[in-house]
Amino acid sequence: MKRKGLGFYLRIYVKILAQDIKSKMSYRADFFISTIGMICTNIAGFITFWILFRNFPSISGWNYYEMLFLYGFSLISLTPVQCLFDNNWSLRSYVYSGDFIKYCFRPINLFFYFQSEVFDIKGLGQLAFGIGTLVFAWVKIGLAFTPLMLLKLIVFLITASLIMIALQNAASATCFWIQNSFYILDLAYRFRDFAKYPVTIFSPVFKFIFTFIVPIAFIAYYPSLVILRPDTVPVLSWLSPVIGVVFFWLSYKFWMYGALKYNGTGS
Amino acid sequence: MAPIIELKNVTKEFKVLNRREGLKGSLRDLFSRDYKTVRAVDNISMSIEQGEIIGYLGPNGAGKSTTIKMMTGVLEPTSGEITVDGTVPYYNRAKNAQKIGVVFGQRSQLWWALPLVESFKLLKDIYMIEDKPYKDMLALYQSLVDIEPLLHKTVRQMSLGQRTLSDILAAFLHDPKIVFLDEPTIGLDVSMKSKIRTLIHALNKEKNTTVILTTHDMGDVDALCRRIAIIDKGKMLYDNDIEHLKGFFGSYRTLKIRTDGDHKIQAEAIRAELPDFSVSADDEWISVLVDEDRQKVIDVLGQLQKSYDIRDMQLNEISTEEVIRKIYEEGVQ
Repeated sequence: MKRKGLGFYLRIYVKILAQDIKSKMSYRADFFISTIGMICTNIAGFITFWILFRNFPSISGWNYYEMLFLYGFSLISLTPVQCLFDNNWSLRSYVYSGDFIKYCFRPINLFFYFQSEVFDIKGLGQLAFGIGTLVFAWVKIGLAFTPLMLLKLIVFLITASLIMIALQNAASATCFWIQNSFYILDLAYRFRDFAKYPVTIFSPVFKFIFTFIVPIAFIAYYPSLVILRPDTVPVLSWLSPVIGVVFFWLSYKFWMYGALKYNGTGS
Repeated sequence: MAPIIELKNVTKEFKVLNRREGLKGSLRDLFSRDYKTVRAVDNISMSIEQGEIIGYLGPNGAGKSTTIKMMTGVLEPTSGEITVDGTVPYYNRAKNAQKIGVVFGQRSQLWWALPLVESFKLLKDIYMIEDKPYKDMLALYQSLVDIEPLLHKTVRQMSLGQRTLSDILAAFLHDPKIVFLDEPTIGLDVSMKSKIRTLIHALNKEKNTTVILTTHDMGDVDALCRRIAIIDKGKMLYDNDIEHLKGFFGSYRTLKIRTDGDHKIQAEAIRAELPDFSVSADDEWISVLVDEDRQKVIDVLGQLQKSYDIRDMQLNEISTEEVIRKIYEEGVQ
């Protein structure tokens, strides 16, 4: 058998995605309504944020535009998990009903095959919002735009995405052991709201938790420091990319371990 | 020639928590370590040659699915060995998957939102099928069933029969050495059943594909299998030619009657009257399994008619369930 390398998976992925998007577009009403829903969600989130800042001029020394930067940054970094790993939300029901077994019969990576099946197009709206917010904040803060800054931005956006994906993988994989993992997944999903704030506003206990146990501080806070406050960056910020990769790899292993342990329901 | 599938003393055990009753019991279960071991498959050995169609039978919960999951590499046996075409499936799941095709009766493995032809194209990429064999296979499909109208329909829009048909075609697409079919005709109408049987038969002939078929439908077995293996409570009860088995049970008929009054009570009375035959009853029918070598069905009916007011009757061949029950109760000589 020929070896199936990255090129093979990439090619298949593009094909599956193209098919999926094509089929989603064919349900036009569904497509438009969910797009409108996504825009409303984002606007609502933004309004909350705006009202907050009408009452407090700054949070822990972070001013309005810096917070906006953090907000935009977290929106962008949440796009990949929203678009590409959305099938994690359905994992629970596949496992519960026994349908998960169908993923075990293909000669390709199980995790890949499962995740590739769904592309949530709504995430793209979020991406647009995120980019808009980030660019706006970038200009208002008066940050320089150099190739180095751009590189930093891209590296740390990828890092942040990896951590969010890892968090969701790990949370959804708990369903291989417990029946109702929805609450855990939901919890992980809610955690990401905290990612929009500087970790310094939390008490030391939560600061520790959000840095080392559920590392959401790495989703936006530590990476943003590198760009916004390059003079006072803690070591942890520079470690973010490593932590992102390690955490993603661990979550993948955890997910696969659960999947291989899984033995389906009788049929 | 070496067998394509070889099972040697395969056993699979599951640990199951001993559940207690009631809410209080459930709370205690949370902390319980009281597991019992259930043996789903118990010391099974089997060897299957390339090109065979083998019917793998047994009542629900007999261990069929577990055996198939082990052969497809999803489960690892507790003890014993399995080789499928020279590889151990549960250590090389992906490699094994390349050589097999699987259809689970009611669980489609195709992409729901895609037209069938797009699913086929994706499978072509996933299984790395070359252009030529792919085209030949589609041509073969076209010659066996009229797939043209199916190709551009999404799986979501298909009827159960069309979906099953599509799933079977998808399973054979990469020309696997073995195809596992788990209850492929379940819930289908008569004409679809026969269509699917013809298709499986033709593909097996054409490609010399080994087919492992689990089913509760004796019609499937009669149409397709020369050899059957029967398993119950994890143990292999029978593994031989179907002709051989029919020799044993060919003279059995199930006589079903419906009467006024309580079937349970009347069944008791009939049991006393006909001690040689097994009698069972449900709300609809009283069933008597008659061995015609001992007494003709018509005589039994005549005898029953004298004592009971028979409103309706049916005469059936011995069913899979009854064959298995008989084998289980009396063994096979």
